[in-house]
Amino acid sequence: MTGSEKVPVVTDQPETCRVADAEEKSLLRKVMDNFADHCRSRSLFVLHYCTGCGAIELPPTITSRFDMERVGVSPMVTPRQADLLLITGYLSVKTLKRVILSYEQMQAPKYVVGFGSCTINGGMYWNSYATVKRLDQYIPVDSYIAGCMPRPEAIQQVFLDLMAKIDAGKATAWQDYYLNYDAYLGRQMNLFGQDWHTPTDVVAEAKHYGYVGNGTTGEHTALLDQRATWSLDTVPELYPARGRNERSRP
Amino acid sequence: MRPENYRPVSHPPSHEYELYFGPNHPGIEGNYAIRVRLKGDEVQEAIADGGYLHRGFEKIMEERLWIQNVALVPRICVPDPVPMEECYSRAVEQLGGLEVPARAQWIRVMMLEMSRICAHLFTFGGNAATIGFYTNMFWGVSMRDLFLDLFEEITGARIYHMYITPGGVRRDLPEGLLDRLAALLDDLESRLPDFEDLFFSNTVVINRATGTGTISAEEALAWGVTGPNLRASGLPFDVRRDDPYLVYPELEFEVPTMKDGDALARMMVRKAEVLESIKILRQVIARLPHIEGPVRCPLPNPLAWNIPAGDTFARVESSKGELGFFVVSTGGAKPWRVHVRGPSQMHAVQVLERLLARGRLEDIAQIMFSLDACPPEVDR
Amino acid sequence: MTVETGTPATIVDTIQHEIPGIKVTKQGERRLRIDVARDSLPALLELLKGRLGFIHLSAISCVDWPETDEFELVYHVWSYERKTLASAHITIPRNPGRFVSVYDIHTPAGFYERDIHEMFGVVFVGAPNLRPFILTSWGGPPPMLKSFNTREYVNQTYEWVDYQPDWLKDVEAKGGGVEK
Ligand code: SF4
Repeated sequence: MTGSEKVPVVTDQPETCRVADAEEKSLLRKVMDNFADHCRSRSLFVLHYCTGCGAIELPPTITSRFDMERVGVSPMVTPRQADLLLITGYLSVKTLKRVILSYEQMQAPKYVVGFGSCTINGGMYWNSYATVKRLDQYIPVDSYIAGCMPRPEAIQQVFLDLMAKIDAGKATAWQDYYLNYDAYLGRQMNLFGQDWHTPTDVVAEAKHYGYVGNGTTGEHTALLDQRATWSLDTVPELYPARGRNERSRP
Repeated sequence: MRPENYRPVSHPPSHEYELYFGPNHPGIEGNYAIRVRLKGDEVQEAIADGGYLHRGFEKIMEERLWIQNVALVPRICVPDPVPMEECYSRAVEQLGGLEVPARAQWIRVMMLEMSRICAHLFTFGGNAATIGFYTNMFWGVSMRDLFLDLFEEITGARIYHMYITPGGVRRDLPEGLLDRLAALLDDLESRLPDFEDLFFSNTVVINRATGTGTISAEEALAWGVTGPNLRASGLPFDVRRDDPYLVYPELEFEVPTMKDGDALARMMVRKAEVLESIKILRQVIARLPHIEGPVRCPLPNPLAWNIPAGDTFARVESSKGELGFFVVSTGGAKPWRVHVRGPSQMHAVQVLERLLARGRLEDIAQIMFSLDACPPEVDR
Repeated sequence: MTVETGTPATIVDTIQHEIPGIKVTKQGERRLRIDVARDSLPALLELLKGRLGFIHLSAISCVDWPETDEFELVYHVWSYERKTLASAHITIPRNPGRFVSVYDIHTPAGFYERDIHEMFGVVFVGAPNLRPFILTSWGGPPPMLKSFNTREYVNQTYEWVDYQPDWLKDVEAKGGGVEK
């Protein structure tokens, strides 16, 4: 594209991502929000979950050589207290389930960064039956880092970018999960089967945070409502009963 | 799930409970899970649960050309990728009848030993962290980073080098690299006493690690334990010496052993192996400048490269133990079957389950790290 | 355990003497290839372990041969004393795809048999544990079978990144585009 003017990208898709009452906010609330965003961007806790090979570059990033902590990023062991979920590489279907569980347990506002080409388009495992090819179909992603094993410098850069984004109030991918929960759930169900569900009541959370949009509920969340008999022992993946020795051959 | 749908499950009253240890847990090495049944803090039963890092390597390798697989293999074990490249390349060389030039053999030994030091330093860190010594982790990881810098200089990449290819190595060493390596080895050696003071001779560590996860020599043999874990039980077996490859027969090195077979012994063996690797690297530094010649044998057009039919089993001593590749070719441009035998396939599943069943909750992380189990190798 | 010392030649003699109809080939300095009828395999492993010191089961590999409708199972055993790796090759028919477990001879077989069961669908009778390990979320056929086409599966299951969506083409036709 030439010239400096921006040509808007036009789509005829219905507008589903409504920015939550930006105009209606009172001035004081805006100031408070900006201040909160500013503070948030200065103290990011990263969930300690190594989903793929990119995680091997995290210890150098955290420890003395590159030292993330000087910019206010530090690891955290539980999802409830973490702000940032790093998807450090390829996700097998089995891990993706755990990632979605962890993601839903995190408190909003929460941010997701995808590491490496595997999270973007499947990377070098493009023909593997076990790994998912696009992370953003299943959970909303704020930033990606390119590269097959991103270097610590790249990881630091993405932290700085993310901090700037949060400070400017633009890291809003998590709202998308609430606004379009039905579509995300639908894609998760396509992959995991129709009885996929998580212990988190995302619809109620969406109401709580005030991010209910046209896409929050739909046919897939209706499926969730239909089942009245779910209990803890069907969450989320059945471990096969002990002692089963043989599997029927296909 | 909607709260109104929630139905609590009732269990019969019991003193036992189940705990899902991992995959999202800082005490787990990598992405792996263990389901433990506990009574108080005594583990009654442990069931390993893998597959979180499954990528179907063996399947997708059948879909790619022989040379393309060079890019795939290092990803099988993330902390110690070089032995994977070596093992795969050697299997292809054995099948295709390729002769590796002398200079390339020495360079390969150098890469393998550097990778071993890196992996051991990383494990020091992990091991220390499970006992609560974070300083040691910081030291280990940053020391390893200096080696990664050298790797980057040689190969262009920090972690996955794809440097060892069938028939040799990708290119020769940069100018002056051996001097920098020698300086780094001196540096590392001068810092090891600090590790010693802070960690290995620390009473807390010794008390904590003595008797944790003990494997007797008979058990080690019966359970298929290999590598440093086997040597920690007093059995001096090492693929580098028993089934030598490359130029290892020309090198002088010891195979350190310990008697006790517990977590402390396994750490001590790794520490001694770092010293042995330094010794080997010094010999390489002394010999390599006198060995001239190409670093790669001539290869046919890699895009139309058919390997003669046959099968072979190549073995390498990685930092975790015996690594094997069973490769079958039917004379085509792609492998017919590649089977990876990673040492952690034993350590992280059967051995870990058995050791944990004798241990306590607080030892789980320590036992896992002291075995240096590498989950991506199990899952492939 | 009595271990008879000697070079691979005496190993060959011992094996051939004890198990008739066996073919032993020497491949390289420390490699032996043994082709054996499947029924004799447990006896062979016992013999190798008990009398010749091959105590370490290095791996069990499975190879799928659709042309002959067979699975090839390869048992790699290593002797620490003789420094020799013996690979015993057997074939089993793909249907019904059953074989006996050697767990009682070599404990490590537990993991490999479980793995082969999962990836190829071979059933090992008497194996202590054939529960799914890696593929607990998997509903399809055993993925390592040659008849399973991973590309097809990937195309059906996952969506690729669409770098040229239709709406972008329309925008580009009007002279616009994505800001670089
Ligand atoms: S992008 Fe590369 S380094 Fe990252 S997970 Fe994928 S293969 Fe591993």
